[in-house]
Amino acid sequence: MLDTSTQPTGPVTQVTGPNGPSRRRRRRDAKVAGQVPRHLRAHLTAYLMITPMVVLLGIFVIWPLVYAFYLSFFEMSFYKDAEFVGFDFYKFVLTDPEFYESLLVGLKLALMVVPTVLVLALLLASFLATLSKRVAAFMKTTVYVPAVVSSVVAAIIFVFIYQDEGFANWFIGLFGHGPVAWLNTATTALPAVAIPAIWLGFGVSTLIMLAGILDIPDSYFESAKLDGANFWQRTRYITIPSLRNVILFLLVSGLTLTIQEFQLPLVMTNGGPVNATNTPNLYIFNSFRDATPYATSYSLTAALLLFLVIGTISIVIFRVVSSEKSSDA
Amino acid sequence: MRQRRLRIVAATAAAALLVLAGCSSNSASSGSSGGNGGPAEITFWQSQFEPYQQKWFKTYVDKFNASQTDVKVKYQVVPGDTWQQKLKAAQAAGTQPDVATTNYGGIPAGVANGQFAELDGMLPDKAWSDIKSNVAGFVQVGGKHYAYPMLVEPSTVLYYRTDLVKAAGLDPSAPPKTWDELLTWAEKLTKGKVKGMTIASVAPDIGWSSWGLQYNACGHLPINDDWSAANAKDSCYTKLFELYQTLFQKGWMPQQPKVGYPDATPYGQGQVAMMANGSWAVGQLKQTFPAMIKNTAVAPFPSVDGDATKPTATLGGWTLTVDAKSKHKEAAAKFIDYLLAGDPAIMADFFRQSGFSKYTVRTSVDQALGSDPAATSDPFMKIITDKVVATGKAEPAYPFDVSLAFATAIESVMKGKADVPGATQKASDAIDRVIKQQRLKGTAPKG
Repeated sequence: MLDTSTQPTGPVTQVTGPNGPSRRRRRRDAKVAGQVPRHLRAHLTAYLMITPMVVLLGIFVIWPLVYAFYLSFFEMSFYKDAEFVGFDFYKFVLTDPEFYESLLVGLKLALMVVPTVLVLALLLASFLATLSKRVAAFMKTTVYVPAVVSSVVAAIIFVFIYQDEGFANWFIGLFGHGPVAWLNTATTALPAVAIPAIWLGFGVSTLIMLAGILDIPDSYFESAKLDGANFWQRTRYITIPSLRNVILFLLVSGLTLTIQEFQLPLVMTNGGPVNATNTPNLYIFNSFRDATPYATSYSLTAALLLFLVIGTISIVIFRVVSSEKSSDA
Repeated sequence: MRQRRLRIVAATAAAALLVLAGCSSNSASSGSSGGNGGPAEITFWQSQFEPYQQKWFKTYVDKFNASQTDVKVKYQVVPGDTWQQKLKAAQAAGTQPDVATTNYGGIPAGVANGQFAELDGMLPDKAWSDIKSNVAGFVQVGGKHYAYPMLVEPSTVLYYRTDLVKAAGLDPSAPPKTWDELLTWAEKLTKGKVKGMTIASVAPDIGWSSWGLQYNACGHLPINDDWSAANAKDSCYTKLFELYQTLFQKGWMPQQPKVGYPDATPYGQGQVAMMANGSWAVGQLKQTFPAMIKNTAVAPFPSVDGDATKPTATLGGWTLTVDAKSKHKEAAAKFIDYLLAGDPAIMADFFRQSGFSKYTVRTSVDQALGSDPAATSDPFMKIITDKVVATGKAEPAYPFDVSLAFATAIESVMKGKADVPGATQKASDAIDRVIKQQRLKGTAPKG
């Protein structure tokens, strides 16, 4: 990202010679003076660079979002005129106990998945950082393989694992435990869905953490080792504080992505049993099922409210884990 | 520096063009105009069912296209689980199909939304008078026709393995008549890895497959007749909750079902000895598990108190509808007339292909099948027609949210998450909310 901290803010500093601004500069200033405002002149290139992206974002993201908010005040029909209903649908969604239950399920899932992934990724990345180049390259590829597996395929594989005669029940059968209906019992269904989510997610997180760890100057570790610090102390006092920004990024992105987890519960349990795995996106998807205009507008409003909820959670996390510039920038 | 800037801008513009091109490639061209002598092109979306249905549709769509030059039908199969989403997206883009499969339950809501074209006057009168009386009301709203029916299939029939029943010391010619007897049978038939029976166990499946049982237990659905209030706390529903609860918690049904209610695979593979399923399962067994047929018998699902005149199933089924915004309504109606209302031999072929697991809605097709030895000798057709279809009720027309609320109550009692009073209270509150928010009061179809 562009580090603008060293550039002057406000009017461009004039290049001054012994007689004030040079002649060439004065002539150019005279030509440009009436056209481009002073404070934009130096950033013109930067603005030109980002214009295409801003235009695309405006057309495909900002405008549909604004229009969606506008539509959420109507009961939409493709065959009749839309009927203005004001905040009715917001009221309907906010008074629906199932909406809050689904948010709770999403949060529970995120609490199960994200810390586990972070811890696993940190341990694995620390281990990978100690390996030789060739072994590390091989390990990095292996660790990344789950990330390229389609989540639908992973869901189906885990459904087979959790079946009555599947691997999971065979395994606990070795300890004399009777078969458990993993995906059909309210208490075990969500953890059962969390496991493939962890398996799919920790590859990317490990590589990102590894990149962060490799950024930490070796001198820190060496001097710590000289002072007699063991692995856990080095991790606690050097690695984790230096990885603060990385952890923040993984926390926020992990949380927002996991709350929106959709394919895994859809394929494995379709939100059951009794909404135990009904994540918010699945709840919205299922509320789209009826052919009535009500269902269309309801899903739209629920999706917009979910957007607001996740945005709020992200802001809260940013405040709590306050980010600061790395001390070695 | 300037060159580099130009190259960057050019590259970004190219990328933007690619994105735009990719985004617009999905817009299909909807029916082109028949205008100056070319055939009117209409799109026909069929909800995906068993493979023989797709084959049958394709055969007769091709025959229709070949038999005349006024109308050309573009046939498209759409999977059932993405049907709503695809249809709504097409409606938003203005590319919705001219003809689509619609189930009976979806007709009143579609008419209220202005989605279906009126078909009176576009199909000949004899097409309407040919429809059997128990189905005629299903395709009418306010006395006008909005769909042409294709078939009925009762939602709940009891299938059982005569060999396993005999081995358990029970009499295969005397299937259970009451729910208590059914539970006894399920207990006795649960041996080793084979479970006694399978029935719907997740709320979306229970939602529609239990309508017949709701009528059976209480004589009404969990909403009152003019849709002004919920009626889910009626004490007669307790036996219904207990039926599902006992089957699941005693382990007489699979604890982690692998497939949904409409799929007969567990029964076909011998994992369960009895199955509650719709009549379409006969077709699936004949096509995929023919070895099971000789050991299978069917019976109407038991009645709560043994009264065989009480309904146990709802008559689901499919129709073809014409979209209200279609630019070729007459052409679409012509296609429907040919396929569903025309030569009885076409529909008779359909029922033959289905293994007589679906049932007719036209008197002329009944006559065509009456002279077919394969139909008259089918072991299942007579029992289902006489004992299940005869007492079958129409599917409810209210939004599925109501059914889902009640089904969630059943599922939560079934899986031990709530007791009956708590679950029915929650369902009652949810149904009242649906009535209020979707303004259902007074919109129930009359008669």
